[in-house]
Amino acid sequence: MSQKQIRHAIGVLGALGVATVILLHWMVFFWVPTEFTMGIVQRIFYIHVPAWWIAFLGFGLVGLCSAVYLWLGDERLDRAAVAGAEAGMIFTTIGLLTGPLWGRVAWGTWWEWEPRLTLALILWFIYLGYFLVRRSTANPEQGKRFAAVIGVIGVLDIPLIHVSVTWLRSLHPEAVILNPDSPMNLDGSMGATLSVGLLAFSLIFASLFLARYSIAGYEHQLDLRDASAVTPQGAEA
Amino acid sequence: MRAYLGLVWAVARKDLLIELRTRERLTAMGAFVVLVGMLFSFSMDTAVVRPQDIAGLLIWMTLIFGGLLGMGRTFRLEEEDGALTGILQSPIPLDALYAGKVLGNFVLLSVMAALVLLVFGAFFRFTFSGNPVTLVAVMGFGVLGFVSLTTLFSAMATRSTMGESLLPVLVFPFLVPVLVYGTTATNRLFAGRPFVEVSGNLRVLAAFAIGGTFVCAWLFRFVIEE
Repeated sequence: MSQKQIRHAIGVLGALGVATVILLHWMVFFWVPTEFTMGIVQRIFYIHVPAWWIAFLGFGLVGLCSAVYLWLGDERLDRAAVAGAEAGMIFTTIGLLTGPLWGRVAWGTWWEWEPRLTLALILWFIYLGYFLVRRSTANPEQGKRFAAVIGVIGVLDIPLIHVSVTWLRSLHPEAVILNPDSPMNLDGSMGATLSVGLLAFSLIFASLFLARYSIAGYEHQLDLRDASAVTPQGAEA
Repeated sequence: MRAYLGLVWAVARKDLLIELRTRERLTAMGAFVVLVGMLFSFSMDTAVVRPQDIAGLLIWMTLIFGGLLGMGRTFRLEEEDGALTGILQSPIPLDALYAGKVLGNFVLLSVMAALVLLVFGAFFRFTFSGNPVTLVAVMGFGVLGFVSLTTLFSAMATRSTMGESLLPVLVFPFLVPVLVYGTTATNRLFAGRPFVEVSGNLRVLAAFAIGGTFVCAWLFRFVIEE
């Protein structure tokens, strides 16, 4: 795939993503019926849940690409990992910001130190460390390896977040979609809105991922160019 | 296996001997424990909060903050003297090097944990009516979990431009299970609760410590290699 095609794909995916996000907001505010028990505040579910799913997808990619990068040392896997991590951070931040909006109405508090919320916040800090460690080594290759190690350990937090609702007596509502006891327990229009949310965020994620992956490729080329420009001078000195 | 354990012991023995001769880390950690105990005792209004009720919190927070002081310097001496390059060129397996470092740190932090219990017991007049063996098991697995992660991240922090200031940012998010389960179990033991009420916490701490040690031992090679 040429750089021009990648730029084209980023633009198309981004435009489709923004259009779908607008459609999602129209559906959330004007189309989908109000849920009976939680009331109007439940509508945030169509943004909050897809944001978390996409965040998990991003960090899952980081874990997978980091593990294979440590094994094979292929530069492209590190680029994919960092692209997944940055996109994952954006969607985690959306999830962490939309959750308290719901919690303020449903629980009467912005934040509760209960297992799922705590583990989700920890996930954000783990990947903050991922970015810090990348930039804090004199040798960039070493920074990439350190970050990959954190990416591999950090991904273990995701299954913990998923099972925390049932295993650790969490206040957080149980899973509605990925619940083995009652899978897809949603009204048709609610399921459609959630699917549009998932599609919108997937498109945005794909666009951000490709853009960051492409930028990481340029950064790598610049590093190689700088290294080849510096080495002969160093050798002469 | 015997030869492997010999290598692990050689690394741990070297670290402990250096520590015995310099007393660098133990002095810093010991002073930290006593000073934090003093600060807690001045800042806590015992008419409002009974120290006995928050014994776990006081003990574990001091252990984690004080432990970071010493663990952050796990690889510092070797890095400064260029000795790490020599160790890496020796035929020792990297996981044995990691295990030796963990063992050395485990001994140091266990000494510190004993000091925390003694000092805080004296400062806050803790009474302990639980089973001491269970307390030792909780502290032991908690310390091993802490040390297994901190040793790995200490190798990263030492080789980074940010140095030891990076260590808390990297390690604290991963230490939450140790803190949550260690504190709860210690609080219950100090409240004289039966073993059945801490057995679940003890299992989680043991799983975290053993699992963490194996995962970190595997990942160590990617951190330490040039």
